[in-house]
Amino acid sequence: MSEIAPAEIPQGSNEPVDEGPVWARRTSALWVRYTSSSPIVIAALAVFLGLVFGAIIIATTTPAVLDAWRSIFHHWSGLPVAIKVTFDNVGSAYRAIFTGSVVDPQGFWHSLTTGKGWPNTLTPISETFTYATPLVIVSIGVGIAFQTGLFNIGANGQAVIGGIAGAAVGSMLHLPTILHLPLTLLGGIAGGMLCGALPGVLKAYTGAHEVIVTLMFNYVTYAFLLYAVLSTPFQQPGQSNDIGRTMDPSAILAPLFGTKSGLRVSYGVFVAAAVVVFAWWLLDRSSMGFDFRVTGANPAAARASGINGRRVIVVVFLISGGLAGLAGLVQVASTTHYIDGGFLIGNAGIGFTAITVALLGRNRPMGIVWASLLFAALGVGGRNMQASTGIPLDLATVIQSAIVLFVATPVLVKEIFRLRAAPTATVQLATKGWGS
Amino acid sequence: MGSFRRFVTVLGASALMVGTLTISVAATSVTASAASKFKACVVTDTGGINDKSFNESAWDGLKAAAKQDSNISVQYLSSTSSADYAPNINSFISKGCGIIVTVGFLMDAATAAAANAHPSQKFAIVDDAPTVKAGTHVLALQYETDQAGFLGGILAAGMTKTGTVATYGGENFSAVTLYMNGFVAGVRYFDKTYSKSVKVLGWTPGKGTCSLAACAGSGTFIGNFTDQTAGKTDTTTFFSEGADIVFPVAGSVGLGSVAAAKLAGAGHYVMWVDSNGCESDAADCKYFVGTVAKGVEPSVEASVLSAAKGTFKAGSYIGTLKNDGTALEYGGVMIPASLKAKIATAKAGIIAGTISVNPNSYPAVK
Repeated sequence: MSEIAPAEIPQGSNEPVDEGPVWARRTSALWVRYTSSSPIVIAALAVFLGLVFGAIIIATTTPAVLDAWRSIFHHWSGLPVAIKVTFDNVGSAYRAIFTGSVVDPQGFWHSLTTGKGWPNTLTPISETFTYATPLVIVSIGVGIAFQTGLFNIGANGQAVIGGIAGAAVGSMLHLPTILHLPLTLLGGIAGGMLCGALPGVLKAYTGAHEVIVTLMFNYVTYAFLLYAVLSTPFQQPGQSNDIGRTMDPSAILAPLFGTKSGLRVSYGVFVAAAVVVFAWWLLDRSSMGFDFRVTGANPAAARASGINGRRVIVVVFLISGGLAGLAGLVQVASTTHYIDGGFLIGNAGIGFTAITVALLGRNRPMGIVWASLLFAALGVGGRNMQASTGIPLDLATVIQSAIVLFVATPVLVKEIFRLRAAPTATVQLATKGWGS
Repeated sequence: MGSFRRFVTVLGASALMVGTLTISVAATSVTASAASKFKACVVTDTGGINDKSFNESAWDGLKAAAKQDSNISVQYLSSTSSADYAPNINSFISKGCGIIVTVGFLMDAATAAAANAHPSQKFAIVDDAPTVKAGTHVLALQYETDQAGFLGGILAAGMTKTGTVATYGGENFSAVTLYMNGFVAGVRYFDKTYSKSVKVLGWTPGKGTCSLAACAGSGTFIGNFTDQTAGKTDTTTFFSEGADIVFPVAGSVGLGSVAAAKLAGAGHYVMWVDSNGCESDAADCKYFVGTVAKGVEPSVEASVLSAAKGTFKAGSYIGTLKNDGTALEYGGVMIPASLKAKIATAKAGIIAGTISVNPNSYPAVK
């Protein structure tokens, strides 16, 4: 009967009610899933709250909007106009983010009906994938470390070293593609591994805290980057500026649709896809991944059950660093094809973005893919927003940060939307705190 | 009841989400009115629009042009990494920019590629001369800053009480070292011409001559253009080694030198770089003996105005003392008229070609 209302389901139970027709039971199970504070719901609502937060920022910082609201102090009849101006400005900003990162409906329709202008129509989505590709790879590396209870704050430095190593192999050796590209990829992985192994070994054998060591290692790598791009073997010949050698065409990740298309999305997406499959297999299907997760969940229990903690730490840092290095290489090999002194420095530091992406994606490979696409889309769309509305690109960063804040405080989101407790009580932080 | 409220909130949230999306897609652009204007656009390098250096100067040049010609509207895009250069330029091409100004040698490849793909698109690039196909419209804006640096060297050498001056750079590449090389040449010229023995710390010129493309030598470098603390530390070290005037060629790092000069007390000064220190950092004007200025703003302004008028000429512009593309500007410190006369003499000599700005033409003081 109609008594199968959500209220009938005991909180904290993941068993659907045994009564009623099948469809009702299924619906109620779904209902529980999507109205409770399950991680997916929290993440989706966090994204939504981030966008609302961004809208408030736009409304309170755009001079046109402020002027419109100021006018209602002279006469209340300005109110409808003020509301309209607010929605127009927020709307045009978010519209620009959407059309700049996914697709412009008008252009799409034009291309569909006339068959012309496909490169222009596909550029936004191609750019989103271009930026998401290295981000996925480095974030998965960071996520694997998180799942083991290890903080790899040095992913950015590892990506820098991987990029340098890979670019060096790609520019200083001259081989046919079939050898050169794999060697270049391996060079990137090896560079990142080397840079990740040191903090791992220090942590495993001397107990040096990995947060401190990896964080400080970033600075060492930046200094090395400047040294490399300004020194003879690696600096671009005939240049006195901080630019490295350009990679051979046989070593780059070529654009998927050819150079002529102008679309930058490259074969790197297959590299990222392979990394996603690898991470899924490692974490969910291999015994090594099981050791990782047990160590992350409870190091003492892991030790008691015979898991070699030192080995786990070193291996995790090798994998995490290797993936970061690969990401750095993919970044170079699919965009500029050379490294300069500003490579991955400052706002471009994908290794730092990766920490927030892994958090948003709950350290799961597929979660990280979605989170990376979202962050890349905000960044790419933010550029279009700045070009067409004049709202600074930094707004995209604000939205990203707000999303992460909301994801990191699930209880807040739960209270704002008055969500019930999750069936499996999974309201918890995706990572543990310092030293825990 | 609780479940009903939950249902309503979730439904409300979804409705809002869908609503936002609909509005986003349906709303009309608020900047459509600017469509008929001539658009001048600048793509900054990773320094951003407020770097108190050439990115900001280029943007100021655009704004100055817009002030002169009301038909010009201006826009900028900042780059967070070198991977952004190409899409930023392409974004402006598709937005119909009349001229696109790119800033810095790091954008050389991206600018050349875009120009080759869009030959009719007008570009101006600051501090670089890319190699492009014939028929493209690229104006390379470069500045022989060693000429003004030379005058700066004379000014510092004439003003020092301790007989030692110093310079340091952000990074060791030619856009930076050209200033330092000119500065050292100016000091050496002063010593030779007026029989003084002022020493320079921080830059040892290499053999051979310096050009816009290459200027080798060794010296003191911060390693970036942002670390003001390092600038302060290095400047304090120079002061303790006896210098009383320091010339930082490192963008905003120079603010660290100003801080060090304040700390060191009376008689310690800074020579500013690129854009007049008494304007960009007016509060500290009394610490500036002068500024070795690079005319990014006026040259960008001129190229934008010419593009808007339809008189744009592709090719190369070299800023010199002669065309005011680089100049020495005085700061907030009293300069004796006799020293100003010496600087004027040297300026005339450089313009006439009778005075060399190569430090190797003069003996070094040991």
